[in-house]
Amino acid sequence: MPQQKLPKLLIIDDDAHLRESLAEVLELDGFECHQAGDAHKGIEAAVKVLPDVVIMDIQLPDSSGFQICQDLRKRSKTTILIMMTGRFLSAEEKKQGFELGADEYITKPFDLAELSVRIKQLLSRNRV
Amino acid sequence: MALNARRGGKLAYKILFWFLLISLAPMGLVGYHLINISQASLRKETLAMQESLAVGFADTVYKYVTTFKNVLTETSGLEDFAGMNPVKQQQYLNRIMQVHLAVLELSVVNSSGLEVLRTGRFLSSSPEMRKFGSEEFFNETMARGQYVGKLERFQGLYPSLTIAVGILDSKAASPTKPVGVLVGKISLNGLSSMLSMEFPPAGKSAAAVVAPDGFLIAHSNPKEVYKPDAKLSEDVLKIITTQMNDKGGGEIALPDGSKLLGAYSDVKDMGWVVYVQQPLETAYQTAAEMRTQILRVLVWVVLFVFLLSWAVAGFISQPIRVLREAADRLGKGQFEDLPEIMMTNDEIGELAQTFLTMSDSLREKTGELIHAKGELEKYGKDLQRRVEARTRELKAAQDELIKKERLAAIGQMASVVGHEIRNPLAVINNSIYFIKTKLGPTLEADQKIAKHIKIIESEIQQANGIINEILTYSRQRELKPEKVYINGWMEELLSVYPFPPHITLEKSFTPVNPPIEIDLVEMQQAVRNLVGNGIEVMPTAGKIKVRTAMADDGSAVIEVADSGPGIPPEVRDKLFTPFFTTKARGTGLGLAVVKKVVERHRGRVELDSTVGVGTTFRIFLPVSQKR
Repeated sequence: MPQQKLPKLLIIDDDAHLRESLAEVLELDGFECHQAGDAHKGIEAAVKVLPDVVIMDIQLPDSSGFQICQDLRKRSKTTILIMMTGRFLSAEEKKQGFELGADEYITKPFDLAELSVRIKQLLSRNRV
Repeated sequence: MALNARRGGKLAYKILFWFLLISLAPMGLVGYHLINISQASLRKETLAMQESLAVGFADTVYKYVTTFKNVLTETSGLEDFAGMNPVKQQQYLNRIMQVHLAVLELSVVNSSGLEVLRTGRFLSSSPEMRKFGSEEFFNETMARGQYVGKLERFQGLYPSLTIAVGILDSKAASPTKPVGVLVGKISLNGLSSMLSMEFPPAGKSAAAVVAPDGFLIAHSNPKEVYKPDAKLSEDVLKIITTQMNDKGGGEIALPDGSKLLGAYSDVKDMGWVVYVQQPLETAYQTAAEMRTQILRVLVWVVLFVFLLSWAVAGFISQPIRVLREAADRLGKGQFEDLPEIMMTNDEIGELAQTFLTMSDSLREKTGELIHAKGELEKYGKDLQRRVEARTRELKAAQDELIKKERLAAIGQMASVVGHEIRNPLAVINNSIYFIKTKLGPTLEADQKIAKHIKIIESEIQQANGIINEILTYSRQRELKPEKVYINGWMEELLSVYPFPPHITLEKSFTPVNPPIEIDLVEMQQAVRNLVGNGIEVMPTAGKIKVRTAMADDGSAVIEVADSGPGIPPEVRDKLFTPFFTTKARGTGLGLAVVKKVVERHRGRVELDSTVGVGTTFRIFLPVSQKR
């Protein structure tokens, strides 16, 4: 097995605990995790790190998650964009999100094992 | 009509009154005067009659006395008698005594006053001769030729009168000088007899002849005369003896209060007075009878006039009464059955005509009014109904609005709370996962840590469930109805439901198996809530009965019954209110969700519960009309 590059993961959420807990769990699963507390820093980190996966909250202090989603999708066609939400999204919202480039929605609290498997699945599909 | 005559006969009474006044007042006046006049004339006549009686009797008395005077004068004038031959004179005297029974005594007195001849009914054959030279009758007769006077009671009993005439000798030297006097005593009893014949004694009626000195000469009751001191009453005497007229009469009031009608007349040349009296009642009897007669006639006339007036008044006022009655009925709105109105050919007839015209017009107008009133009432009711309906709609809309606003507020809050709680829940969840993963094999060694991690995970699930429930309830989600057949859908739902082992499930499905149009997610949640509630109230053992059926109104029914403790009546009303719960743990949204979902499907939820027996919920849903 050659030294495989770990998949890079960027988590954008204003809740530091959530960011850290999520990051550390996913690091156990073999991800290189980066974090950002708001949209601005998130974009900065994404430009610098070039993550394979971005997990972002829909509501951020300085911007809408959909806004970043759109922004990031413009920069990279392959980056996997996963939207986190604490509330129910209407079908309309979900549709809009998908059109802006979102790949997946997860509702807090989420099953981490399931999330990890889903991310790996999406990553492997991208490589193909 | 009799009733009305009694009730409303004022006009008749007025007419009656004026009729009587007009006809009776003049008649009464005339009658009164007639009576007065007739009374006065009758009285006058009665008095005159009485006077004439007195005058007549006075004449009789005069003639009576004159007769005797004439007898004496004639006798004394005879040639034989004047010769003063006693024998001849005796013969004459005897004849007089025989013919005139009233003559009691006759004497011849010579010119020197000596009695020369004396004869009488009660004398002996040779009576004593008396001297009359100083007697008044002798001197008077010698001087004037005659004398009438000297009343006395002959032998103390009956009144007698002394009459003397001079005896004149035509052959003597001086023929005018009497040669003697022929004197006689005449009984006046004859007068009393005549009086009693002419005035038969009755009551106070009486007639009498009195001398000016009160001497009672004759009386209609002869017994009066024989009384020793016979006299008329002083009152009467005073009146009749002091009269200046030689005749007259009038009413005399007696001390005892009674009244007499008296009349008197002087006897010519004698100074005597004839007095006739009778009680006023007797005297005026004719007058009284006449008055009675007139009064009787008057009464008859009054009666006649009264009856006539009554009839006329009734005749005049009858049509007016009928009109009035008709007007009364008209006033009460009885247009039918009006009394028959006579059309007389006068003003009343015209009034009746006008009345009929008026009543026709009134009937028409009243009909219109009643119709209009009915219409108005109808409109009013319609309006009221519409207002009520609109008010109900408004109220319902308002209630709905309030409910919606409340739900919206709840939703907003729930969404905020949900989001805010979900974040920490996610963090806890992540951390536990991290610990679990990190510990790995160690965890398997320490069962207690493993157990507690499980507890935390379970509680996270529980909290998330609650948040989901709240968010589900508050979410305004579009319905996505799908047509399913009720039995199949229920069967599938129940087959995946995790019934705990202590619960027995009993199913019964309608053979009709109607199709319903439902949003599968929401309706499934609603039925699951009902089943879940049933299971929760039976923690040890129990039976859940699920049934599908057709309601009488054509709805499809899903029935979920438990054999739990039942719901107390006071709680039933609040059961479907959001956040109302009887459980120690629970959001109080389970049944609220059921209600909301069912109502969103145009259905309704009913509840049937008996404490100690169990509770049955029924969901009524419209049957799908889609083919």
